[in-house]
Amino acid sequence: MAIKFERVSFQYRGIDEKGYLALADINLSIAAKGEFITLIGETGSGKSTLAQHMNALLTPTEGRVHVFGVKLTSDKKKNRRQRLNPIRQRVGLVFQFPEYQLFEETVLKDIIFGPKNFGVGQDEAVERAKKMIKVVGLDESYLERSPFNLSGGEKKRVSIAGILAMEPEILILDEPTSGLDPMGRNALLEVFHNIHEQLGKTVVIITHDMNTVYEYAKRVLVLREGALVYDGDPSGLFSRKHVEDWNLELPEILRIQRALEERFGIKLDKSPRSRKELIEALGEVVG
Amino acid sequence: MNMIDIENLSFTYGGKVEALKNVSLCVKKGEWVTILGHNGSGKSTLAKLIVGLLKPQKGTIRVDGVELSERTVHDIRKKVGIVFQNPDNQFVGVTVRDDIAFGLENLRIPREEMIERIEHYAKRVDMYSYLNKEPQALSGGQKQRVAIAGILAMRTEVIIFDEATSMLDPDGRKRILSYMRKLRDDGVTVVTITHDMREAVQSDRIVVLKDGEILKADKSEDVLKDKETLEKSNLELLLPLEVLHGLEHKKSTNEEIKEFLWQLSLNG
Ligand SMILES: Nc1ncnc2c1ncn2[C@@H]1O[C@H](COP(=O)(O)OP(=O)(O)OP(=O)(O)O)[C@@H](O)[C@H]1O
Ligand SMILES: Nc1ncnc2c1ncn2[C@@H]1O[C@H](COP(=O)(O)OP(=O)(O)O)[C@@H](O)[C@H]1O
Ligand SMILES: [Mg+2]
Ligand SMILES: [Mg+2]
Repeated sequence: MAIKFERVSFQYRGIDEKGYLALADINLSIAAKGEFITLIGETGSGKSTLAQHMNALLTPTEGRVHVFGVKLTSDKKKNRRQRLNPIRQRVGLVFQFPEYQLFEETVLKDIIFGPKNFGVGQDEAVERAKKMIKVVGLDESYLERSPFNLSGGEKKRVSIAGILAMEPEILILDEPTSGLDPMGRNALLEVFHNIHEQLGKTVVIITHDMNTVYEYAKRVLVLREGALVYDGDPSGLFSRKHVEDWNLELPEILRIQRALEERFGIKLDKSPRSRKELIEALGEVVG
Repeated sequence: MNMIDIENLSFTYGGKVEALKNVSLCVKKGEWVTILGHNGSGKSTLAKLIVGLLKPQKGTIRVDGVELSERTVHDIRKKVGIVFQNPDNQFVGVTVRDDIAFGLENLRIPREEMIERIEHYAKRVDMYSYLNKEPQALSGGQKQRVAIAGILAMRTEVIIFDEATSMLDPDGRKRILSYMRKLRDDGVTVVTITHDMREAVQSDRIVVLKDGEILKADKSEDVLKDKETLEKSNLELLLPLEVLHGLEHKKSTNEEIKEFLWQLSLNG
């Protein structure tokens, strides 16, 4: 297992009040290759906190996290930079707010910062930047722009390009599609999917979009008030019981399917996961 | 009567990036207008111009009949509240409470009423128990909710929401959406900028921007089914409409199903 949480709790320290327990007794294992995971949960349920443990930006206040063989505990003395640095490269994390990731004077410098920091030469790093800026749907002219003078969605794309350019073994993305236009969202989800399919890499996506969960996830994690309440496949997740208990939103595809079934008795023999599959399946029955 | 009147507005950043090109647009009093468009199409630039955070280089902006200028900007800000795309850019207070208070202090709201409003709107967005926390120590969605409460509390005549719900969970998003409907019913003029078609469907009118120009501005129902226009600006049809579109050429599809899909999409 590349990442393993053992009885992990995490408490944020408050200045005046008592601390805030953001994670409670989490047990979880994530394989180094071949996983496509979505992590969901209400606002404030601990998703970003959990993600930051996966690349040692935060370390547990109780319990242990193992990341590629490095053990992380509340013992601060042991969490020295040299020990943690390799983890940051092997597990790439895209932040929820791109602003936390952008600080150089040009987009190019921002994208090559990560790779260079981890030993990639200047030329190779620039090559990667040129490639990744296109992968995220922007053209090369953006490389000369200041990252602070971009629109919200453009910043988001640049922050994703920066992590992709590090070529991490595991990719963690904290709400990567919030702020993207719909086609940009679809295109980037395909990029993440391809990284998983073609390179066999493990990808973890935090999202509020149940369509993303339904179409792409092989495994879903659900957090509620800091506790991991579900770790399984997406089909099981949208059972009536869970939808009611956890106030989940149904993916649109399932909603339409159920509405048509209820109203017209239309039953599909397949279970479509994408828009295209849904339209094809309906076309066969309705047409 | 128009609340916002924009004529031939252009804006270029640093003499290079043409963010808006000759945009004309009006928003009626009490109307709810959605602005859609690809990343970088000029939505936030337009919003910042309306509240006087950027200065028009060409064209005019009138709010409630008053032309925006250095002399009038202060009064116009009391009329138009804006929730920014990145909530971090909005926080000024040490605690959530201070933060919501900030706008109210500027409006010189009496202390008693201020406390009342802070608590009322904090409850509205479900952040009451966080009033004494630092805004920086909140999750992304919680920051967005605080930013929304801060603007709602000011009870301005116009509110602009720039992707204000992008990090909210589905339930939180629905709550804010129903609050937007309430604002419109109360006669507040609402402008929402969003990438969420299910949010757009609720508004009266939709304006689609592409590369700084208006591609289409029309009744929401008419823009929503215009696949060609939407796709030109990186948008997509609502799923029921996409299904409708996909089944269109099949003559045998019964009219009742088509009508049902249309209704489904209007319900968001
Ligand atoms: N401060 C700035 N300096 C220079 N250019 C800018 C600045 N802010 C935005 N731009 C550019 O102006 C154009 C419009 O940006 P704007 O922020 O209005 O887009 P938007 O429609 O809000 O996009 P998004 O959906 O990504 O939020 C983009 O090309 C962007 O790169
Ligand atoms: N720096 C911080 N200090 C104190 N509390 C925090 C901090 N960051 C987050 N929290 C709290 O921890 C909880 C979980 O936050 P987070 O992991 O960001 O949630 P999510 O990503 O699921 O929305 C929230 O209640 C939030 O208020
Ligand atoms: Mg978060
Ligand atoms: Mg914007």
